[in-house]
Amino acid sequence: MLIACPFCGEREVAEFEFRLSIAPWGVDAAEQLYFRSAEPARSIEHWQHVRGCRMWLELHRDLRSGAILETRTDLSALPSESPR
Amino acid sequence: MKYGALQLLREALRGPAAWQPLWERRAPAAAYDVVVVGGGGHGLATAYYLARDFGVRRVAVLERTLVGYGNVGRNTTIVRSNYLLPENHYFYEDSLRRWRTLARELNYNIMYSPRGVLDLASSEEELLAYARRGNAMRLAGIDAELLDRAAVARFEPALDLDVPRQFAITGGLLQRRGGTVRHDAVAWGYARAAAQLGVHIIERCEVLGIARSGGRISGVETTQGFIGAERVALAVAGRSAELGRRLGIALPLETHLLQACVTEPVKPMLGTVLIYMFPGAGEVYVSQSDRGGLVFGGMLDGYPSMTQHGQVTRVRDVARALTALLPQVADLRLLRHWAGMNDMSMDGSPIIDRIEGELFLNGGWCYGGFKAIPASGHAYAELIARGRANDLIRAFRLGRFTSGHVLDEKGAGPFPARQ
Repeated sequence: MLIACPFCGEREVAEFEFRLSIAPWGVDAAEQLYFRSAEPARSIEHWQHVRGCRMWLELHRDLRSGAILETRTDLSALPSESPR
Repeated sequence: MKYGALQLLREALRGPAAWQPLWERRAPAAAYDVVVVGGGGHGLATAYYLARDFGVRRVAVLERTLVGYGNVGRNTTIVRSNYLLPENHYFYEDSLRRWRTLARELNYNIMYSPRGVLDLASSEEELLAYARRGNAMRLAGIDAELLDRAAVARFEPALDLDVPRQFAITGGLLQRRGGTVRHDAVAWGYARAAAQLGVHIIERCEVLGIARSGGRISGVETTQGFIGAERVALAVAGRSAELGRRLGIALPLETHLLQACVTEPVKPMLGTVLIYMFPGAGEVYVSQSDRGGLVFGGMLDGYPSMTQHGQVTRVRDVARALTALLPQVADLRLLRHWAGMNDMSMDGSPIIDRIEGELFLNGGWCYGGFKAIPASGHAYAELIARGRANDLIRAFRLGRFTSGHVLDEKGAGPFPARQ
């Protein structure tokens, strides 16, 4: 898979780390933490270009085809605390 | 037909035409006491124990494709009970004990091979963490041995402890009763034994929805029409999130890919199951199959996917960790590699619970479902038949995510990609 980093251009997936899928706002804490499995047709996710420019991206992906539908820089939700 | 040495000899003389199919191919009946959705290891084991131990007479297993085509045939065949947390100890130990006697019970050779599972450490700190896990296991009555360098070298002569240069092996944690089981035989053995007890195994029958009447579950809508059911039990491995969505059930799951690889066959060179974390490349676990191929795998691809094709970058990382540990295999050719879909739960632990009314779920096995099959099948059957969870699976209830009692063996938090 290639991800088009808006800052760096197309790069191999190995340069990136997936962070999380984004649940819609307005749900309670358990929902937000645990019941946030993605909509397969459009999974909204935060990724970080960790082995590149280190910027945060929002990818919209189709989980069934693997296609990247959209790459954005204006994150629609704040990134959660980094698990590392 | 009971299998045995005399029967094998007789059939050998009569030729292959005399062998009978392991189970009858059949159309579904109008209604069942229990419909199990999913003809993999967990679903077939559940049906077998429902019929054998809990007296449920009319049981059907509905399989979307063919028996054994899912994750039960796509794993690295490792069985073990070397967990840290008590809730996991007793459950996985129950499974390991069942594996030991399963071939005899099923009258089917599942080739349980207690060749040992050896977790290797490459620092003093890692060895201390293994000592902690080993001590926890021993307090629960589970065998665990902390090996120093000399003992590791004696136990697995294929290893050169100083070969991973900056990360020389400092010791390891050994569970001797851990090992491998022939994965396809588990599916076939349970299917055959269940069918002998009267379970209907219906292949190419996909569940499209749950039918309700008067607020109660009345059956399932399938590609082979409506099938009536008093109780519906889901066991669909990596497709739980997808099926849950179709049935309108929110589940704390993400679907991720895990890859496995097998090399061309070579003469016996590896006597145990090795697990090794190579800093910078990640984890590798490897064993040698009876056919001679090295079967190995590593971590998840790292992001959600339902495509069933993994990224070659992960294969490269896992192969790098493998060849750092066993440089003598570096020239072997990779014969196959494949990806399986995993139900990754938000705490890394499975879910076995009643979802609503007479609808039950067995899923969220992450990458560890194979070893759990006998214990899971038995406990799930008990839950379905008696309506309440036994002690072994109480911690696996779905409500833990809203009550805050998550079971997080790794302590990784609600990040399935890191579990």
